[in-house]
Amino acid sequence: MSAVFPESGAAVAVPAAVTTEKGGPARLDIEGLVVAFGGLQAVAGVSLAVEAGAIVGLIGANGSGKTTLLDAVSGLVSPAAGKVLFDHEDLADYIPEERARLGLVRSFQDCRLYPELSVEDTLLLCEDARHRVDVLSTTLQLPWARRAERDKRKAVDRVIGSFGLERFRYHSTAHLSTGTRRVVDLASIVLAEPRLLLLDEPTAGIAQREAEAFIPLLRRLHEVTDSTILIVEHDVPLVFELCSTVVVMQTGEVVAAGSPDEVRGDPGALAAYLGASDEAINVSGPAPASGASPAPSPSPEASPAPSQSTPPSAPGG
Amino acid sequence: MSLPPSIILEGAILGLDYGLLAVGLVLIYRTSRVVNFAQGQLGVVAAVFLVKLFYDFGFNYWVALVISVALAAAVGALSELVLRRLFNRPRVMVMVATIGLSQVLFLFTVFPFIRPKKLFQAFPVPIDWTFHVGTFLFSPGDVLTLMVAPVVVLALAAFIRFSSWGLAMRAMAENAESARLSGIWVRRTSTVAWTLAGALSAVTAVLASPSQTSALTEVLSPDLLLLALLAALIGGMVSLPVAFLAGIGVGVVLDVLQWNITNPSSGPATVELILFVLLQGALLVRAASLQKGARVGERSSWAMGTAAFRRTTKALRKTVGSTGVGASLLLVALLPFFVGVGHSFLMSQICIYGVIALSLTVLTGWSGQVSLGQFGFVAVGGDIASHIGSGLPLIVLLPVAGLATAVVSVLVGLTALRIRGLYLAVSTLGFALFMQTSVLATPCFSVPLLHKQICSGLPNPQSTLLSRPSLFGLSLNSEPAFAWFSLGVLVVSVVMVRIWRDRGIARRLIAVRDNEIAAGSAGIPVVRTKLLAFALSGFMAGYAGVCLAFATERISTNTFDPTFSILVVSMVVIGGLDSIPGALLGALYLEGLPAIFGSTPTVEFLTSGVGLLAFILYLPGGLAQLLHSFGDLVSDGVAQLQTRRPDALDGRPGAHGVPLDKVFP
Repeated sequence: MSAVFPESGAAVAVPAAVTTEKGGPARLDIEGLVVAFGGLQAVAGVSLAVEAGAIVGLIGANGSGKTTLLDAVSGLVSPAAGKVLFDHEDLADYIPEERARLGLVRSFQDCRLYPELSVEDTLLLCEDARHRVDVLSTTLQLPWARRAERDKRKAVDRVIGSFGLERFRYHSTAHLSTGTRRVVDLASIVLAEPRLLLLDEPTAGIAQREAEAFIPLLRRLHEVTDSTILIVEHDVPLVFELCSTVVVMQTGEVVAAGSPDEVRGDPGALAAYLGASDEAINVSGPAPASGASPAPSPSPEASPAPSQSTPPSAPGG
Repeated sequence: MSLPPSIILEGAILGLDYGLLAVGLVLIYRTSRVVNFAQGQLGVVAAVFLVKLFYDFGFNYWVALVISVALAAAVGALSELVLRRLFNRPRVMVMVATIGLSQVLFLFTVFPFIRPKKLFQAFPVPIDWTFHVGTFLFSPGDVLTLMVAPVVVLALAAFIRFSSWGLAMRAMAENAESARLSGIWVRRTSTVAWTLAGALSAVTAVLASPSQTSALTEVLSPDLLLLALLAALIGGMVSLPVAFLAGIGVGVVLDVLQWNITNPSSGPATVELILFVLLQGALLVRAASLQKGARVGERSSWAMGTAAFRRTTKALRKTVGSTGVGASLLLVALLPFFVGVGHSFLMSQICIYGVIALSLTVLTGWSGQVSLGQFGFVAVGGDIASHIGSGLPLIVLLPVAGLATAVVSVLVGLTALRIRGLYLAVSTLGFALFMQTSVLATPCFSVPLLHKQICSGLPNPQSTLLSRPSLFGLSLNSEPAFAWFSLGVLVVSVVMVRIWRDRGIARRLIAVRDNEIAAGSAGIPVVRTKLLAFALSGFMAGYAGVCLAFATERISTNTFDPTFSILVVSMVVIGGLDSIPGALLGALYLEGLPAIFGSTPTVEFLTSGVGLLAFILYLPGGLAQLLHSFGDLVSDGVAQLQTRRPDALDGRPGAHGVPLDKVFP
């Protein structure tokens, strides 16, 4: 187990105080979604069902509309046609912050976070979103406002401890390395208690070795948050290793969907995102299923060494 | 009565000046991405110098003209060399720097080798042609403007269209980074643009001066610059011809409006109102095109590069800090016993300015919404005091005025949902001007459809007397008493702002400022958070306005002059933008220094634009940065006295200037 989640089991204890209102994993249904920028249809009629509790990977070449699809689901762009259903509820009238409050949480490709906020404040912010205290009570420091702030700090302290972020607590995020920022981002996700999690290239900007360490990390995240995950990723082997379902997109359309083995065996799908090069498929993680070793068991190099390969690395290097 | 053509022509002649200024603004904006608040002042130096050469030294007009235009061009180029150091800093900071620059240039006009012996004399005009339209006589100055302005603009347009410099400027306007990578000498091009803008500004001032009645040095005043900005905005800050024509249009529209208004007393107020509406309209309509495309500069976050909040976990450092705060508080509280009445009054002023500066720390420092119109909000508070100040107990009046101002502030903030950065600055400056010249200056106006009189302005715009109320039965009439009251208000404000900072309000404001999309996706209500910043800031400015009105006891429209807004911005920048002690230090520096040490040239020099420029260039963290370093020094000293070796690892990296690579080698 990686050092990000230092010990297995209950190390990442989801704070009891904030678990009460959370439902289980949510299912996501996308029906005939079209997103157009001017004359260009970035997403051209995508229909997709993501079962509750599943991990679904979304792959495809640059410009195939993956991120736009995530944007439409999280409400950052409004679709020209089609529906997004969150646990059978149409999200059309929900603005992004309302979707977040339903438990629809997303991470961003650039993982910029908030450059001038400290790590602690960034995490407290996630708590702010779900536990509103009005300004007047805060200003007058009424008892419930003080209690709420204390509870938030407790929850954040726990997450900071379990993600090993203690020494970065007072750093502003702008001063962190990309890897550390990703960890902060994951920590905020745990705090946000997603029911549906949209991850946009969580390994972008991370070295290959560290990306490999992300597979158990993401599994753990899935387990701890008890959520559905839709992940957009360029690291195809990571997706094949991690996801129960893989969806391939090309020029705004879904060209293949199914279990990793089905997609791997579909030459059309391969051509859509890789030009069917075996080397690219084998960038990280285990050899393809056709090889002698069965897929899930990682090779020695691929299994993460706890202290070296984990993302929190010293900044300013 | 039909519209005489002479009115249109008169408006057009005025408009030519606005157009020329607007062209200068666009030129700078295209290359440097900054609204140049020194655009008018660049030329004023030249115009004043021309008068000096012509009258005092007896130069030939044309020789004097060439020399002074060359001077303005040189000053323009020099300004660019100074501002160049800020190439990578937030554009808003550069804008504040141009405000400092314009103050420095104003100092220039005071120097004896530039300032003519007599300031009020007819501005020289090389021709004596006049002509009539109807009964209206157009002066030689008007004729000169009609002849020269179009030629200058055409020449400039040709230069930009056909020369290689012009091509480089157009490329930079689209994307400075790409232009740089493809081998365009970005900095030199920008120097050329500033040189041109300087010369252009000189021509504008020379053309505008003959018809002015005010002192020479005020020929291109802030409201004139605002008119030019309006024209430039109509041109989308990009198009030179549209900006020029829009300038003429603005001139004509204003002149026709002025002619149409039959009631002379409400005349200027109505024109200001229409101007304000036009400005907001131009900003909102243009908002989409102003903020699209590759121009990330004006959309990007505040990103001051200073550590977010200086937080320390060292007990010793905390003790040093609170000892310092306690000692200075005690010192200030005892001050009225030892100083005279005048200085007690000054103490009240500094405290009130401290509150106003804090209100800007919340809005601009944390929320990143640049307000150049904070005194507009202060004016709302003062206006409320003048109406209901005697009817309510002070302890009720302060929050009531605060809440009312917060409502006004949120209304102004609604524009901020569509525009931000430089454009919000322009919009709020427009609001402050509108408050002063339109709302406050009009005691009563009638609403056309309701047939009702609404009396919202100052009862007497020139001089409204207020009597200070008492607080819990204690009279505030003596200056020491009021000084203690003001100090109390300041202390309460600081406590309040500290709560906002440490208990969750500030982090929401900063998150929305730094990354609106991520904050929204994390469930922070973006719109409400932005408006919250306006409400909090307006609240503080509102009750500060009440205090200011009672402190001065006699208020007029000049009490709430929009230029004070710029003073407050300077305070916050000098103090350190997101810092609470910084705001107070800034107020002390700008209000206190001149009053305590008198208006000696040294002090004036330090507190003027020179000081502002120096701070922006060399001390981005402001006075707060100095204060924190001093605190660290004291704390380290005490630690050594206690023979405990200071543990380097305990210093929070980035917070107290401990470089990160020293902490994590």
